[in-house]
Amino acid sequence: MDFEWTEKDRAFRARVRDFLDRELPENWDEIRRHGPGSREQTEFSLKFCPKLAAAGLLVPHWPAEWGGGGLSNWEHFILGEEMWAAGEPRGAQYMNVNWIGPTLMRFGSDEQRRRYVSQMAAGKAIWCQGFSEPNAGSDLAALRTRATPDGDDYVVNGSKIWTSYAGLAEHCFLLARTSGKAGDKSGITIFLVPMDTPGIDVRSIPSLIGHGDIHETFFTDVRIPASARLGAEGEAWSIINYSLANERVGIPRYELSARVLEGMVNELIVRGAFSDTDVLARAGAAAAACEAARLLVYRVVDQLANGKDPGTDANIARVAVAKADHAVSDFGLDFLPDTYSGGDHHAHLAHHERAIVAGIAAGAAEIQLGIIARRHLMLPREAC
Amino acid sequence: MRFEFNEDQAALASALDQIMLSAEAGWKTAENWQRFDWSQDLDRTLEENGYYDCASEETLGPLAAAAMVYRLNSLPVAVESAASALLRPFCAPDLPRPIAVIDGEADSAIRFLPVARSLIHIGKQDVRCALLPAGAVVPSESLFAYPMGVLGDVPLEWSSVDVDAEATRNRWRVAVAAEIAGSLKGGLEAVLAHVRDRHQFGRPLGSFQAIQHRLAEAAVTIEASYLLVLKAAQTGDPVDAATALGYVQEATTTVVYDFHQFMGAMGLTLEHPLHRWTYRAKLLRSSLGGAQLNQALIAKRRWGSR
Ligand SMILES: Cc1cc2nc3c(=O)[nH]c(=O)nc-3n(C[C@H](O)[C@H](O)[C@H](O)COP(=O)(O)OP(=O)(O)OC[C@H]3O[C@@H](n4cnc5c(N)ncnc54)[C@H](O)[C@@H]3O)c2cc1C
Repeated sequence: MDFEWTEKDRAFRARVRDFLDRELPENWDEIRRHGPGSREQTEFSLKFCPKLAAAGLLVPHWPAEWGGGGLSNWEHFILGEEMWAAGEPRGAQYMNVNWIGPTLMRFGSDEQRRRYVSQMAAGKAIWCQGFSEPNAGSDLAALRTRATPDGDDYVVNGSKIWTSYAGLAEHCFLLARTSGKAGDKSGITIFLVPMDTPGIDVRSIPSLIGHGDIHETFFTDVRIPASARLGAEGEAWSIINYSLANERVGIPRYELSARVLEGMVNELIVRGAFSDTDVLARAGAAAAACEAARLLVYRVVDQLANGKDPGTDANIARVAVAKADHAVSDFGLDFLPDTYSGGDHHAHLAHHERAIVAGIAAGAAEIQLGIIARRHLMLPREAC
Repeated sequence: MRFEFNEDQAALASALDQIMLSAEAGWKTAENWQRFDWSQDLDRTLEENGYYDCASEETLGPLAAAAMVYRLNSLPVAVESAASALLRPFCAPDLPRPIAVIDGEADSAIRFLPVARSLIHIGKQDVRCALLPAGAVVPSESLFAYPMGVLGDVPLEWSSVDVDAEATRNRWRVAVAAEIAGSLKGGLEAVLAHVRDRHQFGRPLGSFQAIQHRLAEAAVTIEASYLLVLKAAQTGDPVDAATALGYVQEATTTVVYDFHQFMGAMGLTLEHPLHRWTYRAKLLRSSLGGAQLNQALIAKRRWGSR
């Protein structure tokens, strides 16, 4: 075991930081304040990501034939940490980089790969992920949106919800049912759908987490060609399980939390309010929670880098990551409550909006705990 | 960044696994319903085979020693591993063991004292050690699952140890964190076995989600504690040492409460080993200043106090 970074990893991190120092504009804090799915941040990402691509830092872990540099899981992960901590200037495009692009490379037709992957590698593609539905959240297999074959086409009817980035996305990575009933995992199929197809309607949902982030997306008699199907009919479940495997630890949220905590402490120091044992202990506990999450996540990255299946270690890490986000956010609310009003403390507000999502998006913490209990602790399934 | 043991560390771990399966390491009720089971035999086996010296082997190091302390504390029997494996190699490699440790003032009962052959005192400014002659120790009755005792009237001959007191205290922080994490791990295994087996309302207790989630949370905490301990052992960094101890001390309260809840009345008996682990953790939660001070220390060391 070795908890030190290699020279190579350190150099890579420095390269990413240099790039960010150079390329993030003066008013970046204001831009990112609007939230990852906002118009401001999305438009920014369309200027930023091509530069990142030109510097070889957009998809460094992709194979060379798709514009990548063949770098390791660790470098990919370091990149993710630095981007998230900087406020995710890639906006929606982080999804392309992490999993939509690699999924298309592996499962896409030649035409789909030609059409989409190089756009992603150039930093010019905005996608959204159409999975969740009003009646299918944690229980994703309950989804009902249906794609009915009609000649050479499919006709899609149904609705998605919580779709991040849908307002500005050009394409949707859509899950729809081609057979079976709500609850069946086998009848679900993936479609790559241009968002300007007639019959798609997007409504932004006002929320606590920034402007324009989450949406309802309605599909009414949306006609799409069979060539928009990814993989075979009914294969969605196994494809997304494969393609989300590298995503299982999720976003490296602790990196932002640790840095925001640093800022909160500095603010308290400036105010001469960082001396009570109570305050110090809470700051220490929050820092420890970030460190705990970091190590549990790194254990998973190491397994992925060695070609091993992290199994439930990924679920364990996710629980700790959510806790760390909340520990930092609660510290801010308890000891710097004034910074959440008046709109000056962009960093605290932006962090808070991200932290309250941590235990819900991409699989609730309670779902993780259930998986840990059954598959790691080998406890018996709950009788129905 | 690498999360796998090297070859020698892996070999040590699997040899330790074998020893931990032996009869002397297993659960039995103690004589006279004592609350602890001091396993002299296991302690000796480990000493004679050089386990307690592993931290000074280049390819093993403090990380392997900390992992060993964690593992040994998951046993229902008590052996003295923390001071021997994580302090002795760096302070006084020839000190006879078992070793008891006094951090600061010796104003209350000290664990392992009745079975110890020597004593390390970590003072504010200096570190000292002394042999414990016959009659030096008076055993104490205690709530905690350790042989506990106080120093009697026999004068001790202290000799000073040429090491930095604060660095030694940090090593001790890591050692105690390893003990707590290991004790919680032992408790978790026992509780898991129980809730898989015990049926109420026609189903195993472990199938109730209220229990599943709390045990899953305990597992998350314990695994995090283990990694924090290993990192602190490897880096020797003062922030890492405070982090490892502050984190696991804070976690102890909830985890220990949950363990006893799920074990029901059985867990309150001396016929079940749960108390062996929980009543070590309950004592160690307060050591080196306790949870709150160690958490505050993380902050003080990172940012100062202003
Ligand atoms: C900011 C944000 C962005 C999102 N972006 C997208 C997106 O782009 N695309 C997309 O498809 N989806 C997106 N989602 C949706 C996300 O995947 C779902 O919110 C998540 O899967 C949980 O589903 P739900 O919100 O319907 O909660 P529900 O499934 O209704 O669950 C609510 C709560 O009940 C509890 N619970 C549920 N099931 C169990 C169980 N079996 N045992 C114990 N407790 C349980 C959990 O505490 C859970 O948080 C996003 C969500 C958020 C918050």
